[in-house]
Amino acid sequence: MGVASLACVLAGCLHDPSAGFSQTKAASRNYQCTRLSQAQAHERFPGVVPELPPRGAYGVTDALVCDRRLIDLGERSGRDEWVLTTLGQSVDEITRAASALAPAQTRWHVDAFYPSAEVAEKIAVAARVSLVERGQQVSDRVPVLAAGDIAVLARMSADRSYQVACGRYFAEHILEPPDAFLGVMIVDAREAQLHAGLCVAGEWRWLQ
Amino acid sequence: MSRSLLAALLLGPLLGHAATLETADANAQEAERARAEVADQLQLRAYDLLDELVYGWLQEPLFTVDTPLVLADVTVPVGFGSGLQALLENHLVTLLVKNPRTHLQLSHCPQCTAMVVHSGARGTVVSRGVDQPEALAATGIASGTRHALFLDFEAEGSALVLRARITSLEPTLPITWAKTLSTTTAAPALLRSPEHLKSAAEARKEYLDLLEGKGLLLVPVRIGARTYVSKPDANLSQVPFVWVQLGLEASLSQARAWTAGFTAGFTWAPQSHVGWLMQVRVARLLTGSTVSLTHPDVYLFVGGAVVSISGVAALGFKNTLPTPVDLKNATDTSPNAIFGAFHAGLEMRLKNRLGVGVYVETAPALDDSVAVGNFLNLGLFKLHAFGFEVSLCF
Repeated sequence: MGVASLACVLAGCLHDPSAGFSQTKAASRNYQCTRLSQAQAHERFPGVVPELPPRGAYGVTDALVCDRRLIDLGERSGRDEWVLTTLGQSVDEITRAASALAPAQTRWHVDAFYPSAEVAEKIAVAARVSLVERGQQVSDRVPVLAAGDIAVLARMSADRSYQVACGRYFAEHILEPPDAFLGVMIVDAREAQLHAGLCVAGEWRWLQ
Repeated sequence: MSRSLLAALLLGPLLGHAATLETADANAQEAERARAEVADQLQLRAYDLLDELVYGWLQEPLFTVDTPLVLADVTVPVGFGSGLQALLENHLVTLLVKNPRTHLQLSHCPQCTAMVVHSGARGTVVSRGVDQPEALAATGIASGTRHALFLDFEAEGSALVLRARITSLEPTLPITWAKTLSTTTAAPALLRSPEHLKSAAEARKEYLDLLEGKGLLLVPVRIGARTYVSKPDANLSQVPFVWVQLGLEASLSQARAWTAGFTAGFTWAPQSHVGWLMQVRVARLLTGSTVSLTHPDVYLFVGGAVVSISGVAALGFKNTLPTPVDLKNATDTSPNAIFGAFHAGLEMRLKNRLGVGVYVETAPALDDSVAVGNFLNLGLFKLHAFGFEVSLCF
């Protein structure tokens, strides 16, 4: 074992992100790795990766760039971790679809429905910022229904409750044209896929 | 026997419990260490994102005149607490205070972030003050404040993402400005002076300049002492020679993994000797494949030299025992010894500016000298001298 470890160290295993002698599988899973050409790697890490020789190289010509996750897997719940890790990408897809469907000059209101209030706020903030970066008018005000409406909606299925809530927003003049409401949510507590729906002029439409 | 068994039965669970406690303590300490390490990384990266945010405001100010701004909310990655939040708030405040050209003046408005109760025609609403600008306006609390800043940090895999937005405190709460910054698109963590913020491109250029600024050529100035081991039965002994050397050192690449150098040296001691040497040296970096900007570098070096010594001290390097006449006439005749030597040693360099080295030296021509012995006989060659040196590189 000692000789194997020594051989492994001499072979450069200390810098190898894969599981093996120097680290466990759990530690290895906390790396996010990307393979780059040596030229790209030198451009990004000039003090670490040498420049490609002008006449080319016969040996290694690429680099594996690994970043450790800021928060190790297992520190947060699996669903929260997945939603937060892919937050930027998933929210961008949703806002791209939403901004394409809504009429021009729409004033957006955004809210997120997620079991954890902290994560829900993160999702809503990401969606609002993404819409502003797409040149949309966005309001920080969250439309709120009366307690009686919420009591009724809570007894309905998810699919039906969002449609009814959308109607109530406009019927009660909580939202008025050119307002539109973008809801981002998970429909089933067992899934980690974000869904989204668009409420324009009292009509609810699922985006994904 | 039965007493031992009884003691073992009684003490066994206690010892086991103690071991469990020790393991729990060790686990807790390890978890705390890991948490502190992650918090440090997060803090530095978050500072970097805040630097870039304020730098953007300096380049393109959001307001043409000084505008009051409420720091409404700073949220940190899920799993982190108010300690990190307070650090980030303080850093942002420092940046804004030191950069008045942003035209953003932080305004004190505790009611804006506190929970307020507002009863109106639509009912009673309980929320933060910034979420009910009409409630703040009705009481005149936010009369001088028209905008609120929200900062949201989140760890998305290996990247830290900052989402910043400014909301106008009007009834419709329009978001007037928003931006997403990520460490994946920004420069690596660079601690910048809050008074002189730089763009990521400028920070990168400084980094490259620092790497390139070392140049491929250095001018080392060395001051050192070399001591020759005396023969145990010799009537003569050598004093340590103090050398001052000046030369040129070249590297094959900016990584400075291999270097080669040439120096000329001078030594003098009153009534004893005057001498010069010409030395060449090749060095290999041992502590990595490239020099470090933050840690000392250790080099292994080997080299050769031609040494010339004149004066009384030169008599000790000769193969014949000096006579009393030789010693008497030494000041007039100025005896001279020239010999070749080879050396090997280790040098620790700090950012290629300051170095400290130790070495051993062998001089085959001194094997038969009357005064110089050796402290290690390796068969093929003998080690006659050892020394140390301090280098300043320009």
